[in-house]
Amino acid sequence: MSKKLVFMMTVLLAAVFLSGCTGGAARGSTWPGLTADAATAYLADGPFVFAVDLKDGRKLWQYPADANAKLLFFSTPVITPEGLVIVGSSGNDYKLVALNPNDINAETNSPAEAWTFSGAKDHWVAAPLVIDNRLFAPNADGNLYVLDLRDGQSTKKALQTVPLGGRLWAQPVTDGELIFVSSLDHSVFAIDKDTYKIVWHEDLAGAVPGAPVLGTDGYLYVGSFASQLERFDPATGSHQSIQKTEGWVWGTPSLVDDNLYFADLDGRLYSFNIADAKYNWTPVQPDGPITASPLVVGDQILVATESGAIYELNKDGNFKLWSQPGGKIYTTPVLAGDLILVAPLTADAYLYAYDQSGHQAWAFKPED
Amino acid sequence: MWELFISAFTSVLLWIYDVIGHNFGIAIILFTILIRLVTWPLNAQQMKGAAAMQNLQNDKDWQDIQKKYAKDKEKLAQEQMRVYREKGINPFASCLPTLIQFPVIIALYQSITRALAATPLGLLQLSRSGSTFSFLDVSSIVPLNSKFLWMDLGRPEGIPLPFDIAFLPYGFPLLAIIVALTTYVQSKLTMPASANPNDQSAMMGNMMSIYMPLLLGYFALTFPSGLAVYFITSNVLGIIQYAMQGKANWRNLIPGAQKQQQIQKQKK
Repeated sequence: MSKKLVFMMTVLLAAVFLSGCTGGAARGSTWPGLTADAATAYLADGPFVFAVDLKDGRKLWQYPADANAKLLFFSTPVITPEGLVIVGSSGNDYKLVALNPNDINAETNSPAEAWTFSGAKDHWVAAPLVIDNRLFAPNADGNLYVLDLRDGQSTKKALQTVPLGGRLWAQPVTDGELIFVSSLDHSVFAIDKDTYKIVWHEDLAGAVPGAPVLGTDGYLYVGSFASQLERFDPATGSHQSIQKTEGWVWGTPSLVDDNLYFADLDGRLYSFNIADAKYNWTPVQPDGPITASPLVVGDQILVATESGAIYELNKDGNFKLWSQPGGKIYTTPVLAGDLILVAPLTADAYLYAYDQSGHQAWAFKPED
Repeated sequence: MWELFISAFTSVLLWIYDVIGHNFGIAIILFTILIRLVTWPLNAQQMKGAAAMQNLQNDKDWQDIQKKYAKDKEKLAQEQMRVYREKGINPFASCLPTLIQFPVIIALYQSITRALAATPLGLLQLSRSGSTFSFLDVSSIVPLNSKFLWMDLGRPEGIPLPFDIAFLPYGFPLLAIIVALTTYVQSKLTMPASANPNDQSAMMGNMMSIYMPLLLGYFALTFPSGLAVYFITSNVLGIIQYAMQGKANWRNLIPGAQKQQQIQKQKK
């Protein structure tokens, strides 16, 4: 083989390998975002956002009509009171778009864009929060963008940009007065929802990829990569570590009455009673790392693991296999009416629906 | 196996990043120096192999068999192998180290993108780098500070322009130009002058000195700028290594000087 041929083949191979590493608009570069209303599931999964009929798993529409290298979706879509579906892109143009499911193009079966916002400088990973006709949208560029949902503009400009720093990957939460935002930059912020001033900013020992949760006791709880569950006073930001975990805590803790359910990347599931400040039972470890938040359905606690299984726990901490759609599950399952929706990565179908006994109702594949 | 390789690269990068005070640009530069030191014998072998092949092109015996068996490729190949054996030359000695560099570049690219973890899945994979090599407390250093000078090392580099150019979505590609220039300089410096106008090795060298800068420049234009920092550092170190070994042919950088050199050699 001539040296020239060897050289050209090497160059081509290198180009192919490197190009293959970029991810582009390919599905599977990270896990999908999932939400649902009473009739429709919305799945942000790679190049497309899909609307799926909850009755039978049929595709209602997709956005965009054709794959576009600039658009990549995996942040959880948010539904406004007006029925718009807001989702941010992690493609190259960093667009936040509001889709109108009531205005579908008959030829392309794709919804019209009610408005777009292109003012961010990085990926959209976090779902935004809708309060009082305003959208609080955290971006990976470290800014919290506030948009006016009633200004009638099709190309929106930020009402306010609140620079927080770090990468903002989690949906904000609110107590009605303050907006709480966690940052990968080891921080938690409280922002006044009307003045947009930072009321407090506290540092933790590790990154916080998940959102905080407000407890029934009025405190704010958040897990972190410092392998700790932290409790914050929402008024002042004073905080303390209340429990140590074995692994990093990714997902947002789920709250039922006085009990917090949360998991770590070592695959342990914890149940912590905030009134007694102690674990309800010894942490259990089903079978793989857990990034998803536990889903509480009645007396059931469902937890999805990276191994592609969903386990059911009772409130005493006993668990059994509930269902196994396969692939790898990182996305938090969603309760939609009587159905439980699961969106695995690298499984046969994009979305599975189960009844509350764990029997599959339908599976969604776009090509069907 | 490949995953272990990437994890090892990522862990070393993160360790350097942690030790030097959380500057990922400096970490990439130091890591490149480390890679260069580790592959120093390979590069030295490459230079030695290239020089041997170059000298062979001017060898009378070699030139004779090229003429004699010009129409019998099979016999020519046999005779070439005989000459290689007699003179103790490995024809692949000059290109094998180059081939080895490519997995290193690909691994480094994947390590940079993994370390910067632009997606949740990327961050999850990064979290496992700490568990693969327990000397590292990844939880205290993620997310990495990707800012270095004017660049975001996780994104393609570009200096913002006051106007849009469709094929330059990230602005003026200063780093890509520096990558192309330093690659060109390095390849020219390492190209010995040849007296033989049909010298295949020289033709190959000329081709590389055009294609490689364009290819690496394209990579720097489209891939995360951390990779461009690696290319530039590696090129500069390569130039220094050639210069230290007294093999840098500085006259090649002057336009027309190479041709002049060939003419002088032929006259001799």
